[in-house]
Amino acid sequence: MNITRRFLGAALGATLAATAALPAFAQSTAQDIASASVIEAIKERGVIKIGLSLFKPWSMRDLNGELIGFELDVGRQLAEDMGVEVEFVPTSWDGIIPALVSGNFDTIISGMTVTPQRNLTVNFTIPYAYSGMTILANTAMTEGFTLEDYNSPDVTFAARRGATPATVIADMFPEAQLLLFDEDGAATQEVLNGNAHATMASEPTPSSEARRYPDVLNVPFNQAFQAGGEGFAVRKGDPDALAYFNSWITAKTNTGWLKARHDYWFRGNDWADQVPE
Amino acid sequence: MLNRLKKLHWLDWLVLAVVLSFFGYIWWKIEGTLNYNWRWHLIPNYILRFHTEREEWFANVLLQGLIATIRISIYASILAVILGTILGIARCAKNLTIRMLARTYLEFLRNIPPVVVIFIFFFFLSQQLITALNIESWAREIARSDNRAVWEFFFGDMRRFPSLISGVIVLALFESAFVGEIVRAGIQSIPKGQREAARSIGMSRYQEMRYVVLPQAMHKVVPPMANQFITLIKDSAIISLISVQELTFKTVELVASTRLIFEAWITTAAFYFVICFGLSMLFRRLENRKT
Repeated sequence: MNITRRFLGAALGATLAATAALPAFAQSTAQDIASASVIEAIKERGVIKIGLSLFKPWSMRDLNGELIGFELDVGRQLAEDMGVEVEFVPTSWDGIIPALVSGNFDTIISGMTVTPQRNLTVNFTIPYAYSGMTILANTAMTEGFTLEDYNSPDVTFAARRGATPATVIADMFPEAQLLLFDEDGAATQEVLNGNAHATMASEPTPSSEARRYPDVLNVPFNQAFQAGGEGFAVRKGDPDALAYFNSWITAKTNTGWLKARHDYWFRGNDWADQVPE
Repeated sequence: MLNRLKKLHWLDWLVLAVVLSFFGYIWWKIEGTLNYNWRWHLIPNYILRFHTEREEWFANVLLQGLIATIRISIYASILAVILGTILGIARCAKNLTIRMLARTYLEFLRNIPPVVVIFIFFFFLSQQLITALNIESWAREIARSDNRAVWEFFFGDMRRFPSLISGVIVLALFESAFVGEIVRAGIQSIPKGQREAARSIGMSRYQEMRYVVLPQAMHKVVPPMANQFITLIKDSAIISLISVQELTFKTVELVASTRLIFEAWITTAAFYFVICFGLSMLFRRLENRKT
């Protein structure tokens, strides 16, 4: 009798302990995830580090060598809302995703279009900007071209390696030749020199280039192609960071702040005197 | 100068004329086919600019990049000489394991393209080192403090310090292999009699190295070392790939912002040339004076 009671007591105790421990275990996992989030790291550090690659007018250096542009506005506002300082880490486009993965910065805010392929390596927030691309063509070489005419082996496109235009061109004009360069300026120069028929970029760059070389360049189609969404990129396995950035973007979209900043940099020309044309 | 001109044979003048007309032809071809608005007047502003708000002259992107390149080259070569000397001594060691290790390191670096080496060192070595030593938060503390002026004189913007350090480490590791070979050649060029003499007066192996072999070897390796330093300055352009804010990286940024493709790259080329050529002239004069 005595033994059975003791045994019962032990069994009861064990069950109680187990039921108490289970939620505790679940809770500690949730805490682990939360404390491992980059959001916690940012708060602790008091600094958010944002990786970006210069890409006019997303981000660029003004006459004083300071960084300005749409991404800079977004990044600074984000930091202000989080109550931390901001550090921008200019990084070459080729290595920007590896640099994020290896922890050089907390997020990429660099006009990066959300693509399924990139999504295999990093996570994206909901889009904070939508940009369509237009074609910038060499006028003399593409006279009388319809959109279909560009899809021919005789046509050469130039684009920046690893950037969205390169993918879009390969997608829309699979027959055409594609020359890849390390940055946008070189791609445009090839079109200017007549070594390529056309390039693609998000507005307003094509229009401003066409204005600078009116005799050589033009924007033949008034429509934007494959308007994709650009999101912040964060490391995988960090639900808290995604949740925070997503609600930040939602809030800023609802107040119209994002659209206002986007229009300032992409539609207007008010900033033209800060960067030499 | 005039004397030299008089010495020129008529054939020399002919060669000169052919060369000049060749370049003239190329220039004419470029002007004809290259559709480009030259905007040279914008470049000086990107070297040195008068800040209208702060009312002072400041070094703009290109000069910032140049200063960063000089800093990185100096630190990287100091580190490379230290590592390279160790490597060179290890290459001449009696112990087979040490010799083989040094040899492996050297062959690894000599037979892989620099760009690949730089990426491997960056992601697998310098990144880990910086995280482990917590250099980033340390540098940020300095950037926030008041006495950052001294640090900034030596290392530039302290917030970018980790990237500068990883650039220096990567470059130094890469160049140390070549410095090591120079040191080894220097050590092996010391006649055997010198070493035997050292041992016969009762010096240990360490003393033999320290007081007899190395002083003579170091003297001999100065000219190739100077050469290697100039190579290092040129090689430093590669670390722009790992986003170290040196001259090449700043030029890429400038081109992306302003589309001054040719002006910016020509200016950068001129910067590199002036530094490297100036140094090689200086080293040649120092060498001539010595002999």
